Amino acid sequence: MSCRSAALELSPGTRPIVLIGNPNVGKSAVFSALTGRHVDISNYPGTTVELTRGRFRLNGHEVDLIDTPGIQSLLARSDDERVARDVLLDETPWAVLQVADSKNLRRALQLTFQLAEHELPFVLALNMTDEASAAGIDVDARRLAQILGSEVVPTTATRGEGVPALQQRLLNPRPISYRIRYDGTVEQAVADIVALLPEEWHGKRALALALLSGDGEAYGRRQVGSDARAAIEAIVAETAARYDQPLGYVITQQRMRCADCVAAEVSRVPEVRHISFRERLGYLMVDPLWGWPFLLVVLAGLYYVVGVFGAGTMVDWMESVLFGEWINPAVSRLVAFLPWELLRDFLVGEYGLVTMALTYGIAIVLPIVFTFFVAFSVLEDSGYLPRLAVMSNRAFQAMGLNGKAVLPMVLGLGCDTMATLTTRILETRKERVQVTLLLVLGVPCSAQLGVLMGMAAILTGRAIAVWLGVVLATLFAVGWLAARLLPGKSSDFILELPPVRVPQLGNIVVKTLARIEWYMKEVLPLFALGSTILFVLDRTGALVALQSLLAPLVTGFLGLPEETAGVFLIGFLRRDFGAAGLFDMARTGMLSANQLVISLVVITLFVPCIANLLMVIREHGRRTALAVIGTVFPLAFGIGGLLNLIFRLLGISF
Amino acid sequence: MKCALCGYEFDSTALSCHSSCPLAAGCNIVCCPNCGYQTVDEKRSGSVNLLLKLKAALSKTQTVEG
Repeated sequence: MSCRSAALELSPGTRPIVLIGNPNVGKSAVFSALTGRHVDISNYPGTTVELTRGRFRLNGHEVDLIDTPGIQSLLARSDDERVARDVLLDETPWAVLQVADSKNLRRALQLTFQLAEHELPFVLALNMTDEASAAGIDVDARRLAQILGSEVVPTTATRGEGVPALQQRLLNPRPISYRIRYDGTVEQAVADIVALLPEEWHGKRALALALLSGDGEAYGRRQVGSDARAAIEAIVAETAARYDQPLGYVITQQRMRCADCVAAEVSRVPEVRHISFRERLGYLMVDPLWGWPFLLVVLAGLYYVVGVFGAGTMVDWMESVLFGEWINPAVSRLVAFLPWELLRDFLVGEYGLVTMALTYGIAIVLPIVFTFFVAFSVLEDSGYLPRLAVMSNRAFQAMGLNGKAVLPMVLGLGCDTMATLTTRILETRKERVQVTLLLVLGVPCSAQLGVLMGMAAILTGRAIAVWLGVVLATLFAVGWLAARLLPGKSSDFILELPPVRVPQLGNIVVKTLARIEWYMKEVLPLFALGSTILFVLDRTGALVALQSLLAPLVTGFLGLPEETAGVFLIGFLRRDFGAAGLFDMARTGMLSANQLVISLVVITLFVPCIANLLMVIREHGRRTALAVIGTVFPLAFGIGGLLNLIFRLLGISF
Repeated sequence: MKCALCGYEFDSTALSCHSSCPLAAGCNIVCCPNCGYQTVDEKRSGSVNLLLKLKAALSKTQTVEG
């Protein structure tokens, strides 16, 4: 502590003030209120994270103010958190100014307690006091200052209220004297690690707790000898082995309990508060009991919008009227003037660019993904999605899956390619590869989910139940397997639940339009590539050869028509393209209901798309990608074949 | 922009997924740096910009007529 006192004797002009806080607490408003509008925005060295710097006068001195990204914690789980932590370590600030949302003191205090462990001069701005008052919440700033042993200033930065007092307090910032006492095992480990760190380092307790929490990069630019590092790693491993749950989770839980206690002591929340209908609905959506029936209602709504209206009414009109009566005949008449038969076939033949790629892409898939994107935007805008994530997390926890692995899998429902990228958050290469395999195998992306839902509309209820049952059973088996391979209980799953609201038409239109644009730009070219490959294979006779080669698998093992081989081939490019081919075959009577269920199960368990495959190669290398493919395809075809065998043996038909 | 899943506010102009995607780098879909959720960046969408310009032009015409 003696070095902190010495540091405080310097004038504020020599060192910056660092602004820190959770997301959406009015940090930018505080920054603007202090500095005015003149700011300098630059990337933090070696990252793409932007830092905003400004200047203001404090007691006659020009002071730099650095605005860091909004963070939940000082553990470096994301680039933003890493940068915020590194700024604290590298800048030796005159003061750390934390901006807190007065309405959510509990969340702010979790960050405050981490900052306390850094032992830096500190001021807390209790912001948004106007909104807190409107909600009947009263925070006793004086009592909080007593508990923390530091400066606390109530502010409403958007109106400039409290800003002069804040400037005054920034003249004499002092480190928080409040310290959390963790359980004996953690405290002993902290003491042992601190003893191994160089005497002159600041924030040794914060560093020790970060290392115990699993933040291996917590040293930042500081160097420690290899012997000390090995000894610290041994302490961390030994301490972690004493708990059933991840050590980071244990420490966060103890910190949260302290935050709850302090928040309860200094906050007055109205005892009787009118709970609006929307709030009740919000609680219902995440209720462990009622959340599931609500999810079923949402899924039923999706089925009627996407399956019945999109895949039924809209596709019928697009395919039979728009393409069947207008576009295809018009293009056929136009290309009839072309002297080259090859080019005519390439455009309007069986595997033609117009008759296959455009018909599949625009007449079949577009109406389905359009209705799905509309429905998805409604869910997104209503605030249901974060609640759905909470419910999904519960389901994955029931399987015993590690919380960190849950996140990429839930995100895979948006885009598997990007979800593969997010497996980087996992700590070991083994975990990253395993979760990538699970993603590729069992999680359809949003566009594919839309098409698969549309396909379900042409199946009977029993057939849907079998398809869903097999896919869910595979997912559950995959989850169970993952739980065995990725031991450990759930880690933190922090989500800010926004209020439930009536979806805004403007937002839905804009989001749907942007997603459709993405679909047209990224997916349609792949459809064109797929039909071109099939055309070339057909003209060179390779398609017939391929169908003969795959006949034992496709017609024998899976019991499907030989034409399905071509559909599976284009399914390599995108799962939804293959599904559209199956959809077309089913509508023209080429597939029986049993065959449709089998082929749907196989295509659902396929590699999502070529982009996903490229991402797997990029993230994990060719050998691993080959191993993933070598697992996924045999499993997809194996489950399809098993289903065919069961149908035949038990005489099941739909 | 604000993530529709976790509520995290971020600057979409400097996201790694934009340069990392093997097929559609720089597309109008962005991934939240906090939770990875895939959401649309309306500013990058040509069709959305066109729609907004049309809307602005229409409201301007109505104001002039009014």
